[in-house]
Amino acid sequence: MDGVGHHLAFWSLAVITVGAALGILVSRNLIHAMVMLILSFIGVAGLYLLLSAEFIAVVQILVYVGAISVLMLFAILLTPRAARDNAETAMRYPGLILMGLVIAATVFVALETDWGAVREEPVAESARIIGQSLINEFVLPFEIAAVLLTAALVGAVALARRDDEDIDAHEQSLTLEGREDSGGSS
Amino acid sequence: MPEIVLSEFAGLSLPDWIDALIRIVFIVALMTVNALALIYLERKILARFQQRVGPTRTGPFGMLQSAADALKLLTKEDVRPTSADRWVFELAPYFAFVPVFLVFIPIPWTETWIVRDLELGFLYVFGVLGLNLVGVVMAGWGSDNKYALLGAVRAAAQAISYELPMLLVSVGVILIVAARLTVDGGSAFGAVNLNVIALEQTTTPFILLQPLGFAIFMIGALAELHRPPFDMPIAESEVVGGYFVEYSGIRWSFFFLAEYTALLLLVVIGSTVFLGGWNFPFGEDVGLGLQVLLTIAKTSAVIFILFWSRAVLPRLRIDQLMAFSWKVLLPFSIVQVLANAIILAYGGGEWIIGITSLALLLLLIGLVYGRARTLSRGAGRSLNKQPARPRLITAHDPAGGD
Repeated sequence: MDGVGHHLAFWSLAVITVGAALGILVSRNLIHAMVMLILSFIGVAGLYLLLSAEFIAVVQILVYVGAISVLMLFAILLTPRAARDNAETAMRYPGLILMGLVIAATVFVALETDWGAVREEPVAESARIIGQSLINEFVLPFEIAAVLLTAALVGAVALARRDDEDIDAHEQSLTLEGREDSGGSS
Repeated sequence: MPEIVLSEFAGLSLPDWIDALIRIVFIVALMTVNALALIYLERKILARFQQRVGPTRTGPFGMLQSAADALKLLTKEDVRPTSADRWVFELAPYFAFVPVFLVFIPIPWTETWIVRDLELGFLYVFGVLGLNLVGVVMAGWGSDNKYALLGAVRAAAQAISYELPMLLVSVGVILIVAARLTVDGGSAFGAVNLNVIALEQTTTPFILLQPLGFAIFMIGALAELHRPPFDMPIAESEVVGGYFVEYSGIRWSFFFLAEYTALLLLVVIGSTVFLGGWNFPFGEDVGLGLQVLLTIAKTSAVIFILFWSRAVLPRLRIDQLMAFSWKVLLPFSIVQVLANAIILAYGGGEWIIGITSLALLLLLIGLVYGRARTLSRGAGRSLNKQPARPRLITAHDPAGGD
């Protein structure tokens, strides 16, 4: 990293990323937290760009911001109590312990790592190299991730599926409501 | 940092930041003019389809109508509902607008007129365009209005569902490009560069090799843009105006600007990927001036078809829309990608790809036509039968019972 532009970009991206991450913790509103999370993801994508990892940056935006965050927003919108303040939770103390552990691990890694700049040129065609190593060197983790995702998909369907009786009763109540509505309003 | 190649029309060697500034100004001007022109053209074309004349009063042929509308919007009061979530409500138009603005970067208007020639252009476009949805959801939620929220949920559901088939059929094209690049002895890297995709179509535009891909891409574009027949998120008769009901004045115009810019961009990308963009259809090397004309001609033809579909097609129901994407378009596009991959891997000619794609397209049309026939016949016989309940928007009130 050299030049004023790089430093400016790095520090503004760092402030955005960390500030937004703090915002997630501080905000009591789920939607606000989501918007902050998205900002933080975008900041991380910018940092990848600064490291000349264009492919990872674009995929970060495509997957984390474009897909995962939007799905999370979508889920929040469909959750009945999403508008309520996100105030108390029974998991407070376990959460604190977990946070302490994560902070300890991060500090340990940060202190142990050699932060000297890499002298090598940034890799061109990073997408090709990533693709090749995914299907050669790291094919087993790749396949395991695929199996895990399939399991998650099947699990989600199993959870979301209601018994047939429930659906029948539900639809019956719906049609009854519908009749009352149409009688009353139109 | 490589040396910045200056645009042809600048002609001078300028510092990076001035160069960037010129390009930004150019894009902003293009965006504004495009939105004004498209709104005017849409009103005129729709009017002709409905045997009206459209705007006539302002300027010759009513051509200043959009400009007058824009002035009116700029001077209108910016109203914010008292119960709205202030920051989410006020920032939403920018979250919807900025991503669309950023998509301009890798668009090849001609072989050399590109803001920045990104190697991962196609991925970048879809990654950034997806951010648009965050603004839409923020607007719907921040307005504290049930209709706005419903519109936003519908928009999110629709965009997520239709992005998948769109991306998959584009992967079909990228596979062909990658195969050609590796045949020439190079690496497949660069196959997602929009300019390279356009360059590969000097002899045949990819619509001939991938007719199904083009059809699905355009259907997906209609859905992503919330245009009829897929305009449930902003359907006046169902959700009043969708996610921007509560907006007025300049904030509302930001949503409109984003919408029409996205229309232009998706169509330009579609015509670059499937129609050859700036390339002459059947193998003629043409100069720079003609390349712009070709881009404009292809883009306008496709935009005209989109306006046309608005005039003649009825609106779908939201459950039909979701079912169409997940049960029809997605399987078809997966089959398309797999067929391309298998044919290319076993060294089949490209004409085989074209034939399979055409067969799949005919199958798709036949399927939709047959389904429509049986549905319309069934509707007459059993009038008291309950229509399928919309599965996506369930009985739970997404607003959380307010």
